[in-house]
Amino acid sequence: MGWTIFVNPVRLPSHSLLWMLLPLCLAVAIVYKTIRASTLERLWLKIAVLAFEIIIGLVALGVVMWLVYVLAAGSN
Amino acid sequence: MRTKTNKSLPFPLLAMLLAWVIPGAGHAYLGRYKRAVIVFVTIGATFWAGMAMGGQLTMDYHAERWWFMAQMLAGAHGMIGWEMQNRLYSELLRDAGAGQEFQHLRGRGQSAEQSVIDKWLSARKQALTSPTDTVARAYAGVAGLLNLMCVFDAVMLALMGITGERRKDQDAPQPQEAGN
Repeated sequence: MGWTIFVNPVRLPSHSLLWMLLPLCLAVAIVYKTIRASTLERLWLKIAVLAFEIIIGLVALGVVMWLVYVLAAGSN
Repeated sequence: MRTKTNKSLPFPLLAMLLAWVIPGAGHAYLGRYKRAVIVFVTIGATFWAGMAMGGQLTMDYHAERWWFMAQMLAGAHGMIGWEMQNRLYSELLRDAGAGQEFQHLRGRGQSAEQSVIDKWLSARKQALTSPTDTVARAYAGVAGLLNLMCVFDAVMLALMGITGERRKDQDAPQPQEAGN
């Protein structure tokens, strides 16, 4: 039985988990800005800025969590 | 945002129903066609990217109910995904199930039943494993949650009587007047 799209799952490498967040962040930024922007002028710029902010926010959150983990591990 | 002189105000319930069933249709109903197309394409692409990654078990009512509920918010996309999952379970019951006994066990987490299911799915190369399951379900689920946001927006716009796009010479959105 061969592989069929939408039927059989693909095998994603384990390190791909975080990279797969990027398109998801872009999708969130597109939909949010599309419905919330007062006008559609320079919409793609607004979307790019929001997507960048989301990604930077996630990275910052990841760094903070990592630091908490390192500090907690060091204190034990 | 008074760009049209519609005869009547939009119906919030109709906007909600349209926005849920077909992502973007709520905004199309309100005359926001460009936004509707962008929402339709983005939510559809996100949902089906998840389905393409996870296959038929991306939507799994029995194993992942919270994700399932989020995915069903994508309207027609979710319903198609649910039907695909139902077909898989029907085949599972037919091929691997021991008739009524298997159906009795189904959904109760018995290890014997799970073992039968896992073997059957592995043989068909349909077992959904980590990290694909997380990514696929997140994509389809987030698509549904994004549509929830669109449904809410469409309902609020309809309640305020706002239709169409704002013109460049307008500063603030204005609701329609009833009976214009």
